[in-house]
Amino acid sequence: MSTTTTSSQTIVRSATTGEPVTTTARRNRLGIWLCIVSDATGTVALLISYVYLWSLNVNSAWAPPKDRFAPDLPFWLIVAGVVLAAAAMWWGVHGMGKGDRWQLILASALSSIIVLVTFVGQIVQLSTFPFAITEGAYASATFWLAIGTAIHLSVVLFLTVAIMNRTRVGLFTQNNHSHVRLVAMWMTWVCVAVLLGAVVTTTMKVSPNTNSPTFGTFSD
Amino acid sequence: MSTDVILTTDIHEQMGVPQPRQRGKAGGFLRHTNVLTGSALGIILSVVTYAIGSKLVPWGTQNEDYSQVGLNALVGATYVAWVIGFMIGIGAFAGPVRWMMGHDITHDDSEYLAGKGQGKWKYWKYTTDHKVVGLQYLVMALVLLGFGGFFAMLIRTELGVTWSEVFDPNFYNSIVGTHGIVMIIAMIIVIAGPLGNFIMPLMIGARDMAFPRLNALSFWLLFAAVPPLLSNLLLGGIRDGWTVYQPLGTQAPIGMIGYQICIITFAFSTGIAGVNLITTIVTMRARGMTWNRVPIFVIGILAAAIMGLVWFPMFQYSQVLAFSDKVVGSSFFIPQEGGSVWLYENLFWLLGHPEVYVILVPAMAGLLELMVVFLRKPLFSYKVAVAGIAGIVGLSSVVWVHHMYLTGWAPSAGYPFMLSTELISIPFGFLVLVMLGTMWRGKVWSRLPMMTVYAVLWCNIIGGITGVYLSDVPVDQYMHGSMFVVAHFHFMLMGVGLFGAIGTITYWFPKMTGKMLNERIGSIGFWVAFFGFQVTFGSMFIAGLQGQPRRVLQFDNAFEISNWISTIGAYTIGVGMLIFLYAIITSWRIGTIAPANPWGSKTLEWQTETPVPLDNFPVLPVVTSDPYGYGVPDPYDAIERKMTDENVKVGA
Repeated sequence: MSTTTTSSQTIVRSATTGEPVTTTARRNRLGIWLCIVSDATGTVALLISYVYLWSLNVNSAWAPPKDRFAPDLPFWLIVAGVVLAAAAMWWGVHGMGKGDRWQLILASALSSIIVLVTFVGQIVQLSTFPFAITEGAYASATFWLAIGTAIHLSVVLFLTVAIMNRTRVGLFTQNNHSHVRLVAMWMTWVCVAVLLGAVVTTTMKVSPNTNSPTFGTFSD
Repeated sequence: MSTDVILTTDIHEQMGVPQPRQRGKAGGFLRHTNVLTGSALGIILSVVTYAIGSKLVPWGTQNEDYSQVGLNALVGATYVAWVIGFMIGIGAFAGPVRWMMGHDITHDDSEYLAGKGQGKWKYWKYTTDHKVVGLQYLVMALVLLGFGGFFAMLIRTELGVTWSEVFDPNFYNSIVGTHGIVMIIAMIIVIAGPLGNFIMPLMIGARDMAFPRLNALSFWLLFAAVPPLLSNLLLGGIRDGWTVYQPLGTQAPIGMIGYQICIITFAFSTGIAGVNLITTIVTMRARGMTWNRVPIFVIGILAAAIMGLVWFPMFQYSQVLAFSDKVVGSSFFIPQEGGSVWLYENLFWLLGHPEVYVILVPAMAGLLELMVVFLRKPLFSYKVAVAGIAGIVGLSSVVWVHHMYLTGWAPSAGYPFMLSTELISIPFGFLVLVMLGTMWRGKVWSRLPMMTVYAVLWCNIIGGITGVYLSDVPVDQYMHGSMFVVAHFHFMLMGVGLFGAIGTITYWFPKMTGKMLNERIGSIGFWVAFFGFQVTFGSMFIAGLQGQPRRVLQFDNAFEISNWISTIGAYTIGVGMLIFLYAIITSWRIGTIAPANPWGSKTLEWQTETPVPLDNFPVLPVVTSDPYGYGVPDPYDAIERKMTDENVKVGA
């Protein structure tokens, strides 16, 4: 990105297309919204799977052996981590809007650290679930919601590190920091996705269907 | 639509814009990557993964559901390694890593990535130019159609005579499943890929797609997805039809994993392409191109992109979860462990039916686009056509259960979904009515693209009416799972989708290749294929009404004549398609040079020169009227005369 000066105002232009970066920013914003829509459909597919299997309790095999459901606290700690990271990034966006580059560096660094810690926490949770992924529908659905969160977090980690690095080398300015806002938008969506996952996994454990259908095994 | 000089400072100031520091030669790392490096790294990484995995994972043990989890995990990891290795090797990750490192690309980098100065080699690289990507999609679609068509010939060979076994029954089932999914993928991309990428940006007066690097990414993801799919035939095959209902998929041989990896990867490709197409259409239209001046084909592409973007993740996740069941032994779809086969069917058909319209809408919109040119009449009620497309997009998301009437899932849902399915015939009917209205009292310029309009109208009537029957619960209880259903969806997907694709590709062939299509040979191929198509599937309707079940290798003597006729018809289609392919290849290689606007069309893509320059237009056009302002009395003589003057022998 570079700047050219006209008689009345400074227009920041894309080095590759020559368009004003405000134009490319609008385009990128729509692109991110569409990515969120697509990712939301995938997330909804996972949530539908969880809720559907929970409500059906096929062959009374929803719950893991001995009803060893996952503890609630780790889910909410991960939600807290993602929300904190997103809040830090928005704080950085706000600072950059006022021209404070150091605030964005600090915010993105803080955000990266929080996301990294949360990501490690997610891996720890995955490896310490009191059941294996093979132990029933609850175990499978919970594992995949957690895996989905881990994938989201790894993408967010890449983005926050990139923002920190690009801010550090001076690629964002007060007039040209749309990428930061887009990353913050994406992180906000990830908060929603992780929150929805936490809500279903912590509030829908024992299936309400005590008269569960028996479908046979399809193995004969 | 006029192309006045615009008062823009946008693009042509780009050379004056200060640039980031150029690191090395333009293109950087991507100078060294191409399809060969991608394939090599993909193969190396998958071989290494297999070698290491076979030491770590105990395979050969069988689960209660007969799945071999150890072997499945190994094969799954090998396929994933192929995709990741290929994408690294082709250079797909170079851009994001460079962005993260803060090494922004320069204008020279950008032009190199777009293929400037690379000759034909650019078609084998991670090239970002939308025209290159469009042609890559075209060739890929033709290759997939070739595979799918070959499998169709094998199927009809087996079904030509009853009680014979040309192929092993398991292999027969595998080619049926592979034919289905290969053709579905080919039909999804055959218009939205080549024409959505090559033609659509030109039609809206844009320099490129909104996200050129994502454009290349979407194509090469598709490329990476194909080998796992085709390799299934060597690994036990897809024996359960293209839908791969569970838990059959979990119990299937390891070839099924190739199917799952293909769909997961293809869904990423489709999602990325959808983001790119929608963003391009919404934000990059030429000045003056208000929504009521957008060509109807662009609206069709937009509709297909929206449906794909919203619903493809459902299909993707059905395969992610099926992959998980098969590879790590989870239990989403395994009933004895709490899973539900209905869950799979719902996730699958939530895309499965909108996907039909992802195929049909661009075909119909493309034909509407070209028929005004060959009738020299404005489109009959542009707004009705747009309303029809909007209605299809909206209703397509609430019809999926008609594929599940007989599964036992929510029987009371059958009638509401019967109603919604019948309702969707109304907006689809709008498109047919707009076609008929546009033809009304028109004087036809009888060229091959226009001929396909008649063919598609005929297929629409047959496929549409039989579809209304099948949407009725009582009729479906009798017809479901019969050859009648097979004939119906072939009339829609092939009769409308593929013949529509032939029409649109034929129409835009001069702009895409710079050559005129040999219409004489192309027409012979098209009409032979069309005749064979009627014979094949007309006869199949009869077999279905008589009660012949689909997906069954052997059948009763009562169905022998109709099957024999279908097989003859299928070979006829094959001959016709080979003739048409010959016309495409020879015209592309040694055909007559095409003028910029051989059809005298008014839309923007024809207003720029052929071959289209790298940045599409010398100056960005400004649109001052709608794209269908025809109405000059009897203009054909003038057009023919002009073409003769330019020594263009159209149809030679």
